[in-house]
Amino acid sequence: MSTESSSHTGQRTESVGPDRLVGTDGVRLLALACVLVLTGSYVAVLYDITQVVGGSRSLFALVGLMLLAATVLARVIRPRTAGVLALSAAGVGFAYYLTSAGVELGVVFSSTDALLSDTVALATGLPLLRMVQAGIWTLGFAPAPVFLSWYLAVRGRYGLGVVPGGAALGFLVLTGDAGTIVTLTGILAAIGAIAFGDLERRGGSIGQADLLAVLFAVTIVLSLSVTVVPGQPTGPTHLVQGEPGTLEATIDSAPERSGISGQVDLSPEVRFTVEADRGTYWRTGVYDRFTGDEWIRTGQSHQYDGRLSNPPGTYDTVEQTVTAETRLGIMPVTPQPLSVDGDVTRDTTVSRHGQPRPESPLEQGDSYTVESAIIDSSPAELRTAGTDYPDEITERYLQMPEDSSSEFADRTAEITAGTDTPYETATEIERHLRTSKDYSLEVSQPAGNVAEEFLLGMDEGYCVYFATTMTQMLREEGIPARYVTGYTTGQQIGDDEYVVRGLDAHSWVEVYFPDHGWVKFDPTPGGGRADVHTDRLQEARANGNEAADTEDSEDVPIDDGDGSDSPDSDPAGPDDPPSDPTPPDETEPDNGSTDDPDSNGTDNGTDPTDAGDPAVGGTSDTDETLSERLVTVVRETGAIGLVLLVGLAAGARRTGAATRLRRGIGRYWHGFRADPDRDAERAFDRLEGLLARRYRPRRPSESARAYVTSLPTTDADGFDSRVWRVLEYYERATYGDGVSRSEADEAIAIVDDLARNQLPIVGRLR
Amino acid sequence: MTDANPTPERSTDSPADGALRISTVERLCEEIETNVSSVIVGHDEVIEHVITAVLGRGHVLLDDVPGVGKTMLARSIATSVDCTFSRVQFTPDLLPSDVTGVNVFNQKTREFEFQSGPVFGNIVLGDEINRAPPKTQAALLEAMEEEQVTTDGTTRDLPTPFTVIATQNAVEPNRTYDLPFAEVDRFMKKLHLGYPTPDEEAELLGRTVGDHPIDSLEAVTDRETLVAARETVSTVQVAAPVRTYAARLAAYTREHAHIGVSPRGTISLLRAAQARAVTNGRDYAIPDDVQIEAPVVLSHRIKTDGRDRDGTAVVEDALERVPVE
Repeated sequence: MSTESSSHTGQRTESVGPDRLVGTDGVRLLALACVLVLTGSYVAVLYDITQVVGGSRSLFALVGLMLLAATVLARVIRPRTAGVLALSAAGVGFAYYLTSAGVELGVVFSSTDALLSDTVALATGLPLLRMVQAGIWTLGFAPAPVFLSWYLAVRGRYGLGVVPGGAALGFLVLTGDAGTIVTLTGILAAIGAIAFGDLERRGGSIGQADLLAVLFAVTIVLSLSVTVVPGQPTGPTHLVQGEPGTLEATIDSAPERSGISGQVDLSPEVRFTVEADRGTYWRTGVYDRFTGDEWIRTGQSHQYDGRLSNPPGTYDTVEQTVTAETRLGIMPVTPQPLSVDGDVTRDTTVSRHGQPRPESPLEQGDSYTVESAIIDSSPAELRTAGTDYPDEITERYLQMPEDSSSEFADRTAEITAGTDTPYETATEIERHLRTSKDYSLEVSQPAGNVAEEFLLGMDEGYCVYFATTMTQMLREEGIPARYVTGYTTGQQIGDDEYVVRGLDAHSWVEVYFPDHGWVKFDPTPGGGRADVHTDRLQEARANGNEAADTEDSEDVPIDDGDGSDSPDSDPAGPDDPPSDPTPPDETEPDNGSTDDPDSNGTDNGTDPTDAGDPAVGGTSDTDETLSERLVTVVRETGAIGLVLLVGLAAGARRTGAATRLRRGIGRYWHGFRADPDRDAERAFDRLEGLLARRYRPRRPSESARAYVTSLPTTDADGFDSRVWRVLEYYERATYGDGVSRSEADEAIAIVDDLARNQLPIVGRLR
Repeated sequence: MTDANPTPERSTDSPADGALRISTVERLCEEIETNVSSVIVGHDEVIEHVITAVLGRGHVLLDDVPGVGKTMLARSIATSVDCTFSRVQFTPDLLPSDVTGVNVFNQKTREFEFQSGPVFGNIVLGDEINRAPPKTQAALLEAMEEEQVTTDGTTRDLPTPFTVIATQNAVEPNRTYDLPFAEVDRFMKKLHLGYPTPDEEAELLGRTVGDHPIDSLEAVTDRETLVAARETVSTVQVAAPVRTYAARLAAYTREHAHIGVSPRGTISLLRAAQARAVTNGRDYAIPDDVQIEAPVVLSHRIKTDGRDRDGTAVVEDALERVPVE
């Protein structure tokens, strides 16, 4: 294609000259700037993605190259050739993406329906970050619209130039990646490009852009006050239990992403019960991609087909039966599940990481049986596992946000300095986090990369922070790791029965060992967590929260459960070999004190708000957030108000309302004194305004005297000879040799008086 | 005409040499008007226009049927201001020298003596001016514009003030010549007397039975006062907005007629407006003055293509459309 076009270049240069290269310079610059902003809007979205998955430099290089190529080629090739070029660029990019994603090109052409469904999936709100090869997709996506829109803009075809950019931005809006502000900016830039382009073509000036200002204001105010474009990916379709603000909801709110928030509460309500030989952590979600403030699960899920992949090494199998005690959008299993049985398997999907999930929420009483593999490897075996990771593992589980700082790397290297094997590194990181940080649910979410902030700047946090940080530290050291959410073992109420509550929600880390598979690590300090959780449950019981217990668990004292609640005291020690070599530093929770009725009473009495009511928990914090929120709201409202004001002002200028308003006010208030002549003239102007309201406005071709003479005035109207005096002063000031100060003041006084008589209310009272 | 330059001469308080106070001139105008009205019944507006034309150093063309009092109007004004009045009856065989005068050989002194013609008068009535051929009419051109007459190489000044009041017969078009456009343009105003109303005519009849009132008409002022009054009028201030307004009116007529108002017409308009301002007791002209004078000052200077639209209509349009400054 390119050879063809270049071979014709020489002959065509004359006829192919840019449609319009000269014009009103300022307006043209503005129009071009608007196209650039539009381009910037969707490139910014793509940049957000490459920041997470890598490739920012390539993206910028590509965009810059495209802009340069478009600028050069704009004077050389025809629009049609450019269109074909852009299309082929898009085609090449897409093909490259598909090959990187491991799809044979031959397959691509034979399975167009699959491609189509992928595209539909994206366009219906699948965030780009969930794509396995999001970075390469981004690089394939960017060039065509950037090139085409800039090419057309340079040629002066702004209207057409907005189309590819707008389409690109629109697609990103549909995937849910483009936020409100970015979208708004892009749309405004598109409007601006078209408007300024039009101004340029018609030879208008920037002064005529007041209508544009009105349009901008309307767009901004409407889009910020009326939500049409979803700013975030559509919310979870089957929401998990747990009201907003609970740890559970934070960890496990949406099937494909897991956010990290600030302060959370604990829900004491029972979620599910498990009958199992061993109590283990119950896993509900696996995430591989970290954006800095949330975890994302990449890849599509597929229908459960009766078998899940098994770990590469040796393993024990364990069977458990899970019964939902409430509506449940998740499917807790013991990692790693091998098969799932039960009615619910009909609509169970399995993620690329082997985690099952119900398509529609489980109802209370639904149950299923899972057979899981528990990796039966000793620490010694894991130590010798080596680092011969499969490619698919390293591709996916070593991802870190591009902006990770060197301090984070240095600190991690420092902590893991004395370790030789990945296993030692993992245990060292786990030990470090457990000992150096405290457990607390009352943290405010840090800005920026959560893992870095937690490792370098924070003293306390909860499981999400610990697990996130450990995962990122491991990846920093080149050890594949992933972030896992689920529940701890829960309260054991029989030999083989466990009650799991909302407050058992937890997140931890799985680390990959060649020939063994994924092994659990939990960097969260067990003692602090257990204390907080026990308090919370006791309160719930004291408050009579019936949902906090099943029939069987009611009578079981909590201290029994405490043991199982604590991650590392859980009797399934053998299941969890990594824990063994690194005995927890914290001791078992002090059961005695928890059991003491007095101490319980004191707890409840002195500190009822501590964790009792989620709404009341942390009053001061709530206040702080409220004021912070207020500030944000005020700032936003102020910004909207400012935009609205600008729009109104421009509209007023457009309609001349400002002049009318000034006149309207001017009728009743003379304003500041000027020189006598101007004052006399102004006095008559005001008089004219009064007369116009009472009788009729003066015609332009009518002289002042003829106008006043023509009015059917009588003394009863309050228009006496004084009107004539004002007229005379006006004529002298305008046409004669001027009036004196006292005469001007007299005219003003007369008009003031007449105006008072005419005032709607005051006039009537007289 | 004077510009609106802020000259220290303010005729209201301290009249400059040769000028009168505005109020004096205003009163004078009223007296002349009253005096003339004792002879001419009705036609108050026309009388005012003639008076302002005289004060504004203009000439007047009366366009009307015979016998409506054109001559009587001119005579009574001349008498009122105690000026010499002469009359030229224009006929098809009238020669230019019949108007300007001729050098006659004096047998006694053996020299040529100039026998001044009727044009040497303060107020000259050119009756039925359009009955004379253009050559004779042209004899008036120099007199009207330059206020001087040149015969046989000798230029003689005409007396001051000099005002031509010409009448034009409108009823016999086949026995008359059209006035040259250049000459028409030299008349400040073209006025129509029109027939009197029955009541006015009845009164007119009552007055003229017996002695004609013109015979007993007496002057209310003298020639010197009239000259001073004209001086006063020329000092009347015409501010920039008024000048702009007049210019815009003229521009409008040029845009909407075959031949529009000449700059001489605009100058005449402002002179008339100055005189009108004085008759209203003002030492500054206002747009109203222009509006009153525009129809009579501008209409006859406009040539239109269509038959149904004459200069009067164009001026009416102009007054309707052009915004007042």
